[in-house]
Amino acid sequence: MFVLWTAKPSPAFYAQVKDAVAIVGIGQSEFGRYLPISQLGLGAKALRSALADAQIDRKEIDGLSLHMGWPLGADYDRMADVYGLEVNYVNQSWTHGRFVTSALQHAAMAVATGMAEMVACITAISFTRELSILGGPGDPEGMREQGATHAENPVYGLTSPAVGAAFAMQRYMALYGATSADLAAVPIALRKHALLSPYALMKQPLTLEEHQGSRLIVDPLHLYDCSLITDGAACVLLTTVERARDMPNPPVIIAGMQSVRSGRSEFIFAPPGLGINQQPSGAVTPRERDLAVYGRAGIGREAVQGFYTYDAFSPLVLFALERFGFCGAGEAAKWVQGGRIELGGELPVNTSGGLLSEAHVCAWNSINEMVRQLRGKAGPRQIPGAEVLQWGTCWGDSVIMRR
Amino acid sequence: MTKTPEKPVPRLTPDNRAFWEGCREHKIMLPWCQDCDRPHWPPGPVCPHCFSEALTWKQASGRGAISSWVVVHKAWLPAFAADIPYNAVQVELEEGVRLTGNLVEAPNEALRVGLPVEAVFDDVRLDVTLPRFRPR
Repeated sequence: MFVLWTAKPSPAFYAQVKDAVAIVGIGQSEFGRYLPISQLGLGAKALRSALADAQIDRKEIDGLSLHMGWPLGADYDRMADVYGLEVNYVNQSWTHGRFVTSALQHAAMAVATGMAEMVACITAISFTRELSILGGPGDPEGMREQGATHAENPVYGLTSPAVGAAFAMQRYMALYGATSADLAAVPIALRKHALLSPYALMKQPLTLEEHQGSRLIVDPLHLYDCSLITDGAACVLLTTVERARDMPNPPVIIAGMQSVRSGRSEFIFAPPGLGINQQPSGAVTPRERDLAVYGRAGIGREAVQGFYTYDAFSPLVLFALERFGFCGAGEAAKWVQGGRIELGGELPVNTSGGLLSEAHVCAWNSINEMVRQLRGKAGPRQIPGAEVLQWGTCWGDSVIMRR
Repeated sequence: MTKTPEKPVPRLTPDNRAFWEGCREHKIMLPWCQDCDRPHWPPGPVCPHCFSEALTWKQASGRGAISSWVVVHKAWLPAFAADIPYNAVQVELEEGVRLTGNLVEAPNEALRVGLPVEAVFDDVRLDVTLPRFRPR
């Protein structure tokens, strides 16, 4: 099953993090729209269910690692206050999906280095209460200028992250001959998965005709290419593998990880070489630095049985698959056809429906699903014999988890 | 009747001021490295290619081609609601950097990657000029 990747392993990673940290508890609140519960209330439910799952008391939590704070989410200090936690370790990023992996990785590093023993990653979010923050007048991050992170350029009316994904998909379609109908395979597959998830908000199948007939949000992105806007919370608990062995759940081990990539060759919503913002243009074959996660895990890409990614917009799934070399540059739109990314296919993706069809809990719902899969507790969505799963985003960060 | 909110205008910084002042004179000015003789974008305090601080500003051709485009159908900002559906383009200038703007003097149906365009200047306020692009 485990195939050593040819990329160079990282000695420092082996010494400290590899196979040293495990996820030992997961929890989540109900997911919904306009829920009559505050962010902190949802977070408390997620924390409570994670504590019950791991069978520990909240007093055992000594670290918090959060990928977002106020106003979309809740800040670490407020969480500690209202949940009655006393923590010795804190990491918090600002409000972005691009820091989800970072929050999980910092939790793992804190445990591996002894800065904390039991770290909780809690995301509690009420998107439906904060619509004006999502690219609207209340979103200071949308006011970044001159081709910012997601190609924001407010003087031209570009303030939403969706615009960045649309610029990338439009060019991808022009360069490689992909179509919106090709892209539809992504949300259609994820909708099929959502129909098998008891937590999913979307309860009806999605057809190609419905996708193509849905309104445009930003050409070329249709409504169903954009994530749900929902409320919900999720919690993940991490501790040492050593301690995990004495806990009730089979440990889900952090085998390898790599961080977000940044630089002039990068645009957050595109694979390297697509030519968005100032990216060089020209197909890029994944380089050693793009694939470091496999070497660090000592697990080859061919051993990955399911792929989980931040699907805020459906093109991001294509770009993530190309970035990690599951297919070549420009090939993903064809590669995802024919059920390949569906349960039962070659590489199931986001098996509980992801942000596109389960709920937008900043993908912590998908991370919880990875844990359920590796415990063999994913019910009708179970990937048979799941031992190795990969989390990986189109901005290049990744965590390989194994049983 | 409610007054329509004003559209955002550029925030001038020490790094980008010369670009926006150039626009007011209907010129595309690019930050240019005197050491490696290359332009860069967005405007920064140093050359990202060679890290030199010896920057100057040079007038660019204003000519290029659309490298990507979108058409916005959702009113994220009330100030743009009346413009929907409006386009935006990224344009790769002959000098190599990519600017953002809108395609004007052509319908949205004309939008395509590779369309040759040139800069035009829209004096949106007495003190603010935005570059946009038209087919050439």
